[in-house]
Amino acid sequence: MTMEKQQTREDLIAALTEDMTPVQRVNPAQGAWLIAFAAIVASVCCIVIFEFWTGMFTGEASAFYWITNGLLLLLGAASTSGLVASALPRVGSRGNAPYWSAAMLGMAPLTAIITVFSLEMNHDHTSGLPSVLADPLTWYWECGLYGSIAGIVVALASVLYLRRGAPVALERAGWLTGLASGSLGALAYNLTCPLDTVAHVGIWHTVPVLVWSVIGRLAVPRLIRW
Amino acid sequence: MVADEPTFARLMVAAQDGDKAAGNVLLTEVGVWLERYFRRRVPPHQIDDLVQEVLIAFYTKRATWDPSRPFLPWLAAIARYRWVDHLRKVYKHDAKELMDDDAVEDSEEEVVMARVSLDRLLSGLPEKQASVIEMVKITGLSIREAAEKTGQSESLVKVNIHRGLKKLAAMVEEVE
Repeated sequence: MTMEKQQTREDLIAALTEDMTPVQRVNPAQGAWLIAFAAIVASVCCIVIFEFWTGMFTGEASAFYWITNGLLLLLGAASTSGLVASALPRVGSRGNAPYWSAAMLGMAPLTAIITVFSLEMNHDHTSGLPSVLADPLTWYWECGLYGSIAGIVVALASVLYLRRGAPVALERAGWLTGLASGSLGALAYNLTCPLDTVAHVGIWHTVPVLVWSVIGRLAVPRLIRW
Repeated sequence: MVADEPTFARLMVAAQDGDKAAGNVLLTEVGVWLERYFRRRVPPHQIDDLVQEVLIAFYTKRATWDPSRPFLPWLAAIARYRWVDHLRKVYKHDAKELMDDDAVEDSEEEVVMARVSLDRLLSGLPEKQASVIEMVKITGLSIREAAEKTGQSESLVKVNIHRGLKKLAAMVEEVE
């Protein structure tokens, strides 16, 4: 129920006492399970729609594919951990592991860009071989879109949990929601994607993190304000 | 006398389990604690309003306290969140200026402490932001008057107040 201010503090305390009922404590572990469940639901939906890429278990997947997905998983875990903790009011420093994890993931697109440019600069344009920039896989942006869409499920679960809690640092909660949604959403879709070149994975398999970070920062605070 | 941490924690566990008697004592004690907390942070005529706001928030969000963690930092975090929100609202709706009788309602010591606390917070802001916040939010000058006094344009005064309050909120969030 919504309680309004009263004429005096004593009246308010009497009214609140009258309505005092047992409550189920908000548990960060439950929040983490809820977000993990949302990530699994997103993965199952992606697999049903796009089919699981068996290539990752038959030795076809490149090392870069595994490294990027591993970083996405770590970022998802770090941001989820920070996010569920941020639902409980507390003072003091909160740690910045999620941001360092995001910075580490940033190495993936950076590597992709450096690789593309270095290959292009050393590419023999007279040989007739296609350049990296001409490779359609480099520009297959749909993976970024699908990963971002998969992130919606994680974002919904995160906002649901945060609304049950009482986050006191709304912008931080927004960033963390974005990082968790982007990384776990991207990971959910990446399980189905057979395109594993450095340029493609480094850019399009990580761009949902960027997209969701911006959405999380801009949209989430107003959804969880209390 | 205000209750101590173990007493608060014990009462809170009982209140979370729906114990009305414990809840009533807890709310009263929390009210006293909050009154002290806000005495150095807002003008006296706003204290009761803010205490009531936080009591409602405290009641609504009582499920978010984890008994394995200390109670008072949790309460302080809620109080601070509401305080910062209150500052934003006051700024946004251009609330009425400080009333003349505010200072005499309180003891001199508290007025001095409030001033010291405020100065400490404002000293963490760039001079341009601190001066306009002080003029508009504390002394009660209008935006135009502050603009004339500082030589800043009216929009710059607004921007500096907005940025200053935001930074203030972040500082309060980090330290304390």
